[in-house]
Amino acid sequence: MAEAKDLIKQERMPTLWCAGCGIGIIFHQLAGVMAAAGLNSKNATVVSGIGCTGRMAGYFKMDSLHTTHGRALPVAEAIAAYRPDLKVVVASGDGDLTSIGGNHLLHTSRRDANVTVVLVNNEIYGMTGGQSAPTTRPGSITLTTPVGSEANPINIQGIITSNRRHFYARSTVFHVPHLKKCLAEALAWPGFALVDIKSDCPERWGKMNKVKSPAEMILAYKQQFKINPKPVGLLADGEIGIVKRG
Amino acid sequence: MKRLISGNEATFLGARKAGASFYAGYPITPSNEIMEYAAKYAAGHKDFRFLQMEDEIASAVAIIGGSLAGAKSFTATSGPGFSLMQESVGLAYMMSVPTVFIDVQRVGPSTGMPTYPAQGDILQASHGSHGDYQALVLAPNSVEECYRYAVESFNLAEEAQSPVIFLTDGFVGHLEEVIDPDQIEVSAPAKRLREPLGTGCRHFTGLLADKNGIPRTADSKLYQDWYWSRKKQILTAAEKYKFFEYVPNKKSDTLLISFGISSRLCAELQKDCGYFRPIRLYPILENELKAAAKDYKKIVVVEANDGQYAGEIERVLKREVRRIALLGGEIKLTPILKRLESISVK
Ligand SMILES: Cc1ncc(C[n+]2csc(CCOP(=O)(O)OP(=O)(O)O)c2C)c(N)n1
Ligand SMILES: [Mg+2]
Repeated sequence: MAEAKDLIKQERMPTLWCAGCGIGIIFHQLAGVMAAAGLNSKNATVVSGIGCTGRMAGYFKMDSLHTTHGRALPVAEAIAAYRPDLKVVVASGDGDLTSIGGNHLLHTSRRDANVTVVLVNNEIYGMTGGQSAPTTRPGSITLTTPVGSEANPINIQGIITSNRRHFYARSTVFHVPHLKKCLAEALAWPGFALVDIKSDCPERWGKMNKVKSPAEMILAYKQQFKINPKPVGLLADGEIGIVKRG
Repeated sequence: MKRLISGNEATFLGARKAGASFYAGYPITPSNEIMEYAAKYAAGHKDFRFLQMEDEIASAVAIIGGSLAGAKSFTATSGPGFSLMQESVGLAYMMSVPTVFIDVQRVGPSTGMPTYPAQGDILQASHGSHGDYQALVLAPNSVEECYRYAVESFNLAEEAQSPVIFLTDGFVGHLEEVIDPDQIEVSAPAKRLREPLGTGCRHFTGLLADKNGIPRTADSKLYQDWYWSRKKQILTAAEKYKFFEYVPNKKSDTLLISFGISSRLCAELQKDCGYFRPIRLYPILENELKAAAKDYKKIVVVEANDGQYAGEIERVLKREVRRIALLGGEIKLTPILKRLESISVK
């Protein structure tokens, strides 16, 4: 059976991501799950926006697109509409997909475009140095919230599940088997499916918020999140799992 | 069959004739009909995809996705929407994605006069996106030309592997003239040069990248090589698309230069002045303009904006160019005649 390495451009390793960054974990798991699902350069394409996560598309061994900031979804929707034979996977950051691309998230999900979205949620703008994002948790120190963020984080689950048909999964880079299951189910879902993955950013978020190491950040997810294997209604704040309605 | 057709319908028919099979857009007057024809056509033809997007930013990137997916792709808008599309024009240029952006111009800035025609987007069409790039812009002046040059826009986009701006206006878009598209001879649809997605291991990026699609964002030499070769590619492709009309007037010392809807008025003055009408606005027809201009003492540019193209022509000819600005949607002969009198042409 095909595995992660079959879908990764080995000649481009190492990636540009910092040591200990969660994006690498997600990339590797996504490549593995896609390979296991039989996806390859003839039947799939990966589309990214801009940001640290935005660089993910370029590491896949298949046709891939690195679009402009926030615009991965409409590009992906267009490809999916014209080419139902292709599995279209979007991999992008939280700022990209929920802030500058937030309007597209509302509408691509509402139209139930046949796109699988892997949202790397590090709760910060990584690429530009660590400014606050719509996902930033209250109290977090970022470059633009020097005394701690006060704003409400965006409710991604709420946006996705406001659509009659929906697939929303939440996982973390600590819960790898769970993450794989979420990715596999999302890929198999006919229509718009989004996996919201809590991912550590040790260099930007971690350093500003006095986290000593990437390991400490990843292990914190173990404390903060519990798997809910069969959510009734929506996931509570500290829960990870899959919420779907066909 | 001969029938009354609007400029917007003819533009859509031309797109179809060129083999376009993907449309994404967002409603805006005076371009709406193009979108409506696309929606209607898609409803009856499985091989044509239509997407109504949430805004013009989405529409512009969607046609980039559609084009890479394998479809000749286009969108239509007007000034406010065209402004929102500018970042994507640059992306299409950088990624070398053939796309056609139709701008049915109206009076701006901002929401301006939505139902009144203008030609105020000349510089937006040529320099609206950030950074340096060589724009491709065609401007028809009749219903027949909407059809004919829509075909050419798609062909040029394919040959140059680049976005083409098809610049009409609210007047030409809504003008109805009797034509028979089946009898109008147009160029054959251009072949697609690139295999669609799902056939390789290519990386399409807006970053500076090497031949393998690997980002090289700190390589000034690579940028310079890329920049000049891309520009050359565009200029070479555009060679075949030098569309213009020139009617000399040996008895006159004045050359009128005009395009699009304004040129319909200026055509009336051919007995008094020389008449030059660029259809390809960009790349500017430098040699053709210079050759025509040298026989006249006075050069007058008539356009529905405050001298946007006149400034370009002045730069090319390196001599004084007089301007007649048709502003506020008033596309009429009287103000032109008055101005010509004051510069003692008549
Ligand atoms: C139109 C536009 N605005 C701003 C930027 C600058 N920019 C690049 S990446 C980025 C934020 C990325 O954050 P996120 O999407 O969360 O990705 P991450 O780097 O955290 O993976 C910003 C603001 C840009 N490239 N384009
Ligand atoms: Mg982020």
